[in-house]
Amino acid sequence: MELGQGDTVLAKPTGELEELPSEQAAGEQRYPVRFTATGEEYFRIWIVNLALTVVTLGIYSAWAKVRKKRYFYGHTLIDGEAFEYRANPIAILKGRLIAFALLALYSLSGELVPLLQPLFMVALAVAVPWLLARSLAFNAVNSAYRNVQFHFHGGYAEALRVVIGNGLLVVVSLGLMYPYWKARLARFIANQHSYGQTRFELPGLAAEFYRVYLKAGALLFGYAVLGMLAMVAAASGDRGGMVALTTGVIVFVLAGSLAYLLAFASVRARITNLTWNHARLGSVRFVSTLHTGRLAWLYFTNIVAILATLGLAIPWALVRTMRYRCEQTTLLAEQGLDRFLAAESAQVGPTGEAVGELFNIDFGL
Amino acid sequence: MTEFDATYYDGKTSARTAVRVRGCGHRLRIAGADGNFDAPLADVALDEVRADARVGSARRFLGLPGGAQLQTDDHDAVAALFPQAAPWQARILGLERRWSYALAAIAILAAFTWWCAVYGLPVAARLGAMAVPLTVESKLGEQALYALDKSFCEPSALGEGRRSEVQKQFERVTAGLKDGFLYRLELRSCPRIGPNALALPGGAVVMTDDLVRLATDDAQLAAVLAHEIGHVRQRHGLRLGLQGAGLAALIAALAGDAVSLTGLAMSLPTVLLQAGYSRGFEREADQYALERMSEIGVPARHFADIMALLSKQGPEAGLRGEALDYLSTHPAASERVEEAMKAR
Repeated sequence: MELGQGDTVLAKPTGELEELPSEQAAGEQRYPVRFTATGEEYFRIWIVNLALTVVTLGIYSAWAKVRKKRYFYGHTLIDGEAFEYRANPIAILKGRLIAFALLALYSLSGELVPLLQPLFMVALAVAVPWLLARSLAFNAVNSAYRNVQFHFHGGYAEALRVVIGNGLLVVVSLGLMYPYWKARLARFIANQHSYGQTRFELPGLAAEFYRVYLKAGALLFGYAVLGMLAMVAAASGDRGGMVALTTGVIVFVLAGSLAYLLAFASVRARITNLTWNHARLGSVRFVSTLHTGRLAWLYFTNIVAILATLGLAIPWALVRTMRYRCEQTTLLAEQGLDRFLAAESAQVGPTGEAVGELFNIDFGL
Repeated sequence: MTEFDATYYDGKTSARTAVRVRGCGHRLRIAGADGNFDAPLADVALDEVRADARVGSARRFLGLPGGAQLQTDDHDAVAALFPQAAPWQARILGLERRWSYALAAIAILAAFTWWCAVYGLPVAARLGAMAVPLTVESKLGEQALYALDKSFCEPSALGEGRRSEVQKQFERVTAGLKDGFLYRLELRSCPRIGPNALALPGGAVVMTDDLVRLATDDAQLAAVLAHEIGHVRQRHGLRLGLQGAGLAALIAALAGDAVSLTGLAMSLPTVLLQAGYSRGFEREADQYALERMSEIGVPARHFADIMALLSKQGPEAGLRGEALDYLSTHPAASERVEEAMKAR
């Protein structure tokens, strides 16, 4: 194992320049994030654990999750040191059983007493912030680097205000407040996290988020117009009728999918860059240089490979995506990474995480 | 005696110390990087050390008493010192390391997915559809008809006399069917759909003017109507919806994290499999149509005749050719005519 210092080579990061923090300061050292997992090794871990999950009717899924996460964490290195995932599979299994019971209750209530279902939805809306906070806390406290745990301090009240309170603003404004909401959410999540005793800090980025979403929206709109024109052109071909219309629809759907992919990659790349480039952890800064085009190409080739192999390429796709994301992230630290203090550890149950998973709540983190 | 390089963390700060570790007997001795074991930094009993379960080539973490930790990549040394660490998960590790087990896992997953798609989901959907009350199903049908009227169809342009003749055929086909469905015929003019008939959940049957005009004998319309009644009775609309939802859930469960990676593309296999399901439903409905026709005394050749007429029709004829059979939602027309002829 190498115990080398971070290299001090000054390199100008490329990528979306507007979102980059100031240049590397004198005395700051660079610590690139490395990802050393291989698709070939992860494939066997993935497929064996998936088969065991199926054979055990899902009970093994908690162990499968922990093993997969431990493999990824153990291969994510900063300054030669690996991350550690500590969650206890039994705790995750308990959470999943509770979540499953709730889901069964939900479906049955709809079957027997239809009136109960809307009530259940309201209860879920109230519970979502709690689920989010618990899920983040469970994940944080079970993640460690250099034997120092992460923590999430966000309480229910603030989560409710940010997720539901600001979420209602999005609804009332017919979606216009969506980027603001995402910025608030990102800030809430970042600022409530700490590494040991040191808090992460992220300023408000609403204006920057608006720029990202507007650009993606314009892209999507432009492609929609182009696709529509292409469809009309194809449909008005001399043959006319069903065949031409079908061709037109296929052209439109393909163009739309490509536009969606590009817009998706653009938002992913730029939001990730923005967030990391403005985040601080004590004296540590981050540089994230994801590139929209490369990310879109990565997603596109992933989709093609996964479909062509009936899903067998999933592990390879996950590994190469993760590797790209890690390679594009660098830490800048003035005083090295040795001076973080650990905090008292606390146990957090996994129920929140499991329930959120089962009801398929995408927190878009 | 086993010796290996490791990094030591005290658990209070993120500071690291490069160390040399030696296992002798039941003790673990930790010395500085210089390897001077005469003045060790720590000396702990082996059974107080918690070795984590190994996953692939990922780094090993050894928990020491008091919250300190050793980290190392020397898998052989850890395996030699802690042969009993997480024995149950060590078996899994053995499975994960061999390609032969990975191939067996692929076979298990392929068999499971195939079984679910071909047997499990259709049976589950049939049971699920039975649990849905007729009132709910009718409501779904109403919504479908509303959507159809809004975007594709106008009121029928047929004369009143012709309409009542078709209605008579409909009553002939549905007479005496005491199965709870509220059968009714909806005639529509839908030039964009062409000659066609659709069964909606709950009992409404939509027939287009073009189809009525295409038929050379009213018994042919009875054959088509019997086919659509077959769809209604066997709740094909509802079952198709439930099977689609089940498929999506199955794929999401198997693909896991990859869903977010591929997004939309995951719906593609669902669409392809759905096409296969609806072909199965067409065969079921054909079968019912022939049975019902013999019950009410309509010769089976009328079914073959209308199929032949339909397959000759318009640009769809090309799309319904045998080469595209797999993608088409309807079995190839000639195949259906053959089956109908056999039944005669």
